[in-house]
Amino acid sequence: PMDAVDFCCCTNTVEEPLDLIRLSLDERIYVKMRNDRELRGRLHAYDQHLNMILGDVEETVTTVEIDEETYEELYKSTKRNIPMLFVRGDGVVLVAPPLRVG
Amino acid sequence: MAVANLLLRTIAENSMVVLLQGLQGEVTTVDLRNESTARGRVVNVDAFMNVRLEDVLYRDRRGKLTRLQDLFITGRNVRYVHIPDHMDIMKTIQSQLAKIHRVRNFASHGGGRKEYSKKK
Repeated sequence: PMDAVDFCCCTNTVEEPLDLIRLSLDERIYVKMRNDRELRGRLHAYDQHLNMILGDVEETVTTVEIDEETYEELYKSTKRNIPMLFVRGDGVVLVAPPLRVG
Repeated sequence: MAVANLLLRTIAENSMVVLLQGLQGEVTTVDLRNESTARGRVVNVDAFMNVRLEDVLYRDRRGKLTRLQDLFITGRNVRYVHIPDHMDIMKTIQSQLAKIHRVRNFASHGGGRKEYSKKK
């Protein structure tokens, strides 16, 4: 019968780039997505397409507005929180440990 | 026809789409690539992540709401699927995979692969 061990990868060696993501399972990660989006959440599962299940997610959407008179670039970001999210892999640009300040 | 189904099951069981297939009957929100959202009951999800929803509240990118009885979303247009809080993800994936292996054993004459025994 299938059980959790069968489903999760059993090897400990890092052989290919996807193995680096495996090291982040159950850890908080930073995901940069297309269309100026970023996700920060706990990685619960992923597959070869980079479809992912993230828990306790904060999504940040960044927009740029140009001031019509001064031509200043105004960066605005909108955040929202989602408890459990399935992310389709084709939107993922990169996956990294959470960015640390200082 | 049976071969096509086997192919679809193989595609599905090797990716996380099986979790979405386990969402059948649940009410969820799907965020689309075009910045709109659709909240409704999952009728079906196929191996390519195409989604059929029923009883849908569709919110376009401007925030305008529309009620739809039936909505088909192509897999490519899915950005996120919100997973209901009460769902046990591991259990759902395992039961979906068990369904696939049950069918595979049933379909093949002479016993088929012996690694996965028939579930009662």
